[in-house]
Amino acid sequence: MTLAAVPPEETTAGAATPEFERAAARAESRRGFLIAVPAYLYLIVFFAVPLGIVFAYSFANRNRFGEAVFTNIGFDAYRRLAEPIVRDILFRSLWLALLTTGICLLIGYPFSYYLTTRSSKVRNILLVFVMIPFWSNFLVRNYAWRVILGKDGVISRITDFLGLGEVEILFTPSAVVLGLVYGFLPFMILPLYASIERIEMSLIEAGRDLYASGWQSFRRILFPLSKPGVIAGSILVFVPSLGAYVTPEILGGAKTTLLGSYIVTQFLTARNWPVGASLSFVLMAVMLLATIVYFRAGGRNL
Amino acid sequence: MTAVGDRLLPGASVARVGDFARRFSLTRGALAANAWFVYLFFYAPIALLVVFSFSADRNVGRWGGFTLGWYDDFIGNTSIQNAIWVSLRVALLSTVISVVLGTLAAFAIERFRFRGRQAFDALLYLPIIIPDVTMAVMMLLFFSEFFDLLNLLFGADLRKGFASITVSHIAFNISFVSVVVRARLAGMDRRLEEAAMDLYASRWKAFRHVTLPQIAPGVAGGALLALTLSLDDVVVTQFASGPGATTLPVYVFGLIRRGVTPLINSVSVVMLVASVGLVLLSLFVQRSRGGGAVGPPGAVAAGRSRRRS
Amino acid sequence: MTSPVPAVGIAGITKRFGDVTAVDGIDLEIGDGEFFALLGPSGCGKTTTLRMIAGLDFPTMGSLKIFGEEVGTLPPNKRPVNTVFQAYALFPHMNVADNVSFGLKMQKVERAERDRRVAEAVGLVQLGGMEGRRPNQLSGGQQQRVALARALVNRPKVLLLDEPLGALDLKLRQEMQLELKALQREVGITFVFVTHDQEEALTMSDRIAVMHEGRLLQVGTPEDIYQRPANRFVADFIGRTNLLEGTVASESEVVLSNGMRVQAASEHDFGTKVAVSLRPEQAFLYRRGDSPAGWPSIDGVLREVTYVGNALVHSVAVDWISIEVRTPYRSTEVPPQVGDEVSVCWEPGGVTVVAD
Repeated sequence: MTLAAVPPEETTAGAATPEFERAAARAESRRGFLIAVPAYLYLIVFFAVPLGIVFAYSFANRNRFGEAVFTNIGFDAYRRLAEPIVRDILFRSLWLALLTTGICLLIGYPFSYYLTTRSSKVRNILLVFVMIPFWSNFLVRNYAWRVILGKDGVISRITDFLGLGEVEILFTPSAVVLGLVYGFLPFMILPLYASIERIEMSLIEAGRDLYASGWQSFRRILFPLSKPGVIAGSILVFVPSLGAYVTPEILGGAKTTLLGSYIVTQFLTARNWPVGASLSFVLMAVMLLATIVYFRAGGRNL
Repeated sequence: MTAVGDRLLPGASVARVGDFARRFSLTRGALAANAWFVYLFFYAPIALLVVFSFSADRNVGRWGGFTLGWYDDFIGNTSIQNAIWVSLRVALLSTVISVVLGTLAAFAIERFRFRGRQAFDALLYLPIIIPDVTMAVMMLLFFSEFFDLLNLLFGADLRKGFASITVSHIAFNISFVSVVVRARLAGMDRRLEEAAMDLYASRWKAFRHVTLPQIAPGVAGGALLALTLSLDDVVVTQFASGPGATTLPVYVFGLIRRGVTPLINSVSVVMLVASVGLVLLSLFVQRSRGGGAVGPPGAVAAGRSRRRS
Repeated sequence: MTSPVPAVGIAGITKRFGDVTAVDGIDLEIGDGEFFALLGPSGCGKTTTLRMIAGLDFPTMGSLKIFGEEVGTLPPNKRPVNTVFQAYALFPHMNVADNVSFGLKMQKVERAERDRRVAEAVGLVQLGGMEGRRPNQLSGGQQQRVALARALVNRPKVLLLDEPLGALDLKLRQEMQLELKALQREVGITFVFVTHDQEEALTMSDRIAVMHEGRLLQVGTPEDIYQRPANRFVADFIGRTNLLEGTVASESEVVLSNGMRVQAASEHDFGTKVAVSLRPEQAFLYRRGDSPAGWPSIDGVLREVTYVGNALVHSVAVDWISIEVRTPYRSTEVPPQVGDEVSVCWEPGGVTVVAD
């Protein structure tokens, strides 16, 4: 007995049809989806779901043991945000973040401009020395100021030696701003540098040729052209400053509670999860707004 | 009249040029001074920290003679060793997983159109934008609910620790890797992939032999970013870790809050040396690859600033 | 030995991208061993057509055959064709030898055979000794040769070229035109190339297909296309021409819009709006009254004479338009002067009638 002859596999494909084209497009789309799906699923389970849980908690209530419960859900937690304590913290956080951004801009702009005036060889070396603090451990860099600002710290020792008496900057808002500026200055410098470097220096020369003074050529030519960098840098400094937690914990005192620390307190000690959750959400909304501004201002990537 | 004019005009113009030059050099001097100030500002605290880590005085800011004692303490401290071990394992595992998932995500978004692509794109950006503290809170509530659920369903009693830390680090690292890889993919000529397929490569082979080598600097840059973000993170880790395990930054953060000791100085210096080592390594890798960018500076900057407040 | 079966057989191919129809039901046969040009302005569908032959886009409908075998629904890696891409798309991370051997590796050709064929292909395009170089260490012309070698080493049944000379400067482009043609004769493979440059198409190809807005307007030899354009677009797009508007009066006469009657044969119906196409170099310029007897002529005034090296370009103002006349430059002749009253004439039969 012989096996039945197997018909030869069809070797020629058929002519194209709209159905085939659609099927091919569908297969292509399915392939893309399958490639995306591991990351997609991961982010849904471990990011979108947690975000949803926080959202849900921001509407929760507390029972008499202080535990979050989902009876009588409502906007109670959000209403609490208008209370003087929380409002003060919000304003203080805003103010310190703005101050930090302003100082970074003031120091960072001339610095970035200076970098662009150097020869490319020198510039690369100078940039590496900006990159090192940029990439190195943030916690450690903040901690270093403890050694300097404390009552026994280097600054206090110097003022004491000069006969000015001991000073303690540590645990004041100034120390927090100092730490934030120290931490985030590179984030101002790098985008600023990138945008100033792209400007044709002949434009400045053309301005000088057209009788602009140094200040005028800065105000009317250089600054407007570097605006994308200014906006990008400002947002990159402002946003994390607003939600800062580590810096105020290390360098700030009890009187300088900021938003980040307050939220953490709600979860770890005060155990008021609904208020903590609602504040987290408000903070995120501010960040989203800032991001939209960033993209509107022509920021090409995050 | 002309003679007077001749005598006056050159003089006047010289005065103006001189004035201009003086002001110009003044601006220049101020710019240079500012630059030196910035570098002093960046490096003086670090230098002092290093110096005082060798000081014998128990007071962190006071010089008490040279000693290596704090480094001995550091080496002998088993809690720190455990924390380092956890940190390294979390960093490596979360980097490997997020590099794979992030690169796939970047490839899918950049090269395909599929249903849900826009939602995926938005979801991919969110972990970059979201504040540290919010993400930390998310992880706290998520694991608390998740473990409750597991307990309820299976009676399993799980605790936060190595696994929960790694899971949360992957959740933010996928996004950073994908942003960096995407920038590289967007800059790559798509015709290269078409050329590969025209030359008898299957889809997979075109990706393997052409796309992947082309985006390799981006993948390496993304990996480096993921590695440092994981090694640096305090806030999210603090909320995702438990008594079971904690990372070095969280452990050190706890020590600092309890009061500074010279031991922290020595640990800090070691952490600093490690991160500077990583920077130099990345610069070296970049240079040997012919100056290929590690990623869009914006992405890196955003990543760094987002994950370290 | 050429095959009687067409190398490329296209029947009713249509490609739509959403609402846009890029290629609108074209039929085309390209013979074995032909050097064939797809010519048209950008956006005419020529590149889409080439990509469909390569397999980089699937047709919405229609049949696409390579030597009689239907390939329209096969992916690019399953088709016996190879492509020289615009700007070459050489793999930047591979040297010349690796670029050239890529296709053979993917087809799992044995090492020894592969090395032999790579050496042969590299020799064919005269790049011997350059095997170890990276694409960025090569000039534009050399990159182009690598792209050719990379495609030809696979011995495709049809070679597709997308604007192959577009990235080169003028002088090199002219050199490469001749070289490509010589190469094609040497390997005997059917070449199909896409270009927007009509001069390039006329110089290199055996036959040309002129495309416009997704349709094939005319397929023919360069001479056909130049001397007997099928319609107004082709006449205008290929070379320079003067289009004199008019209507068909009889099968041998056209009434121009100024009322003048011109002897010109056409197959269009009486009353059809047409244009009489008069090539500048097929027009002659005489002082008014000197024109040869029996030649059609139009009177006008010479407005401008431009010296362009080997020729003089005259602009003659006729009452309603301006006509360009190109005459060879001879230093001994005294040409008509600007402002002279002249006649533009042509040999009987020296014009073509084209409709829209």
